[in-house]
Amino acid sequence: MKLLNVYRSEPNDDTKKLVEIVSEGRDAEAFNLNVESPDYDALVDKVLAADQTICWW
Amino acid sequence: MSKKVGFLLVNKDYTLDGVRSALGLAVENMYAYAYVMNNELTDVSDYHKENIDWIRDMEGEVYSTVDANVDNLGLVKISLEEIGKQLRDLDFVIPYGILRSDKS
Amino acid sequence: MAKSLGIFVTSPQNMRHVMGITKAAKAKGSKVKVFFTWYGVHLTKCKDFPDLCELADEVSICADSYKKCGYDPAGDIPKGLEAKDMATQGQHGAIIEEYECYLTL
Repeated sequence: MKLLNVYRSEPNDDTKKLVEIVSEGRDAEAFNLNVESPDYDALVDKVLAADQTICWW
Repeated sequence: MSKKVGFLLVNKDYTLDGVRSALGLAVENMYAYAYVMNNELTDVSDYHKENIDWIRDMEGEVYSTVDANVDNLGLVKISLEEIGKQLRDLDFVIPYGILRSDKS
Repeated sequence: MAKSLGIFVTSPQNMRHVMGITKAAKAKGSKVKVFFTWYGVHLTKCKDFPDLCELADEVSICADSYKKCGYDPAGDIPKGLEAKDMATQGQHGAIIEEYECYLTL
């Protein structure tokens, strides 16, 4: 199970806890959209390669 | 096989519409689960209560971490940790809308 | 052929991400469908929205949300959309059922 966690904003404590639980034991990767110039090309590559993407707030 | 979808609803301005959106998938023959986290629902109309009932009729559920939502609306109590465990079994996880400004 | 991508937009804050991801996915040969709901429909008023409609394979919005946000779904169809694109949550269901990859923005 290849999981991609994408962050649209700075994760709060609840988000961090949920990410920890859903990612446990999985091939999990993170991508931060909350930057000045996100690398959309790299993000799409990761989304297309993942089994599931969760785009957190 | 029917897909399992979970809506994470953390912002009062988005929660009732998120429940409506969950119902929209339930009627498309998916298992729809809504998780109302850290926001107490007020001004809940009969229309919104019916949406909650319909989700249940279609084998979904509406959960909440907030006691007032459990007491006032009959939502099923759940902890943050339990939500996390349930999300692991879902095909789609939808963090709906935006975080509340005081939580972000 | 690259995998197809469905994007479910519920936030009014993410137009640059919707555009950026759609552009990148189309450049890789992906089919892209975007559905806007609730406060996400405010993004139909962004200057980029007609460009998004050109770029993506399918764009639709929740007409009910559009009305609740104060717009007229019959008389004020956003530039780039047609009446058939003023749709229901069934469009979200179609993304989940028919598209290989999924994003919420």
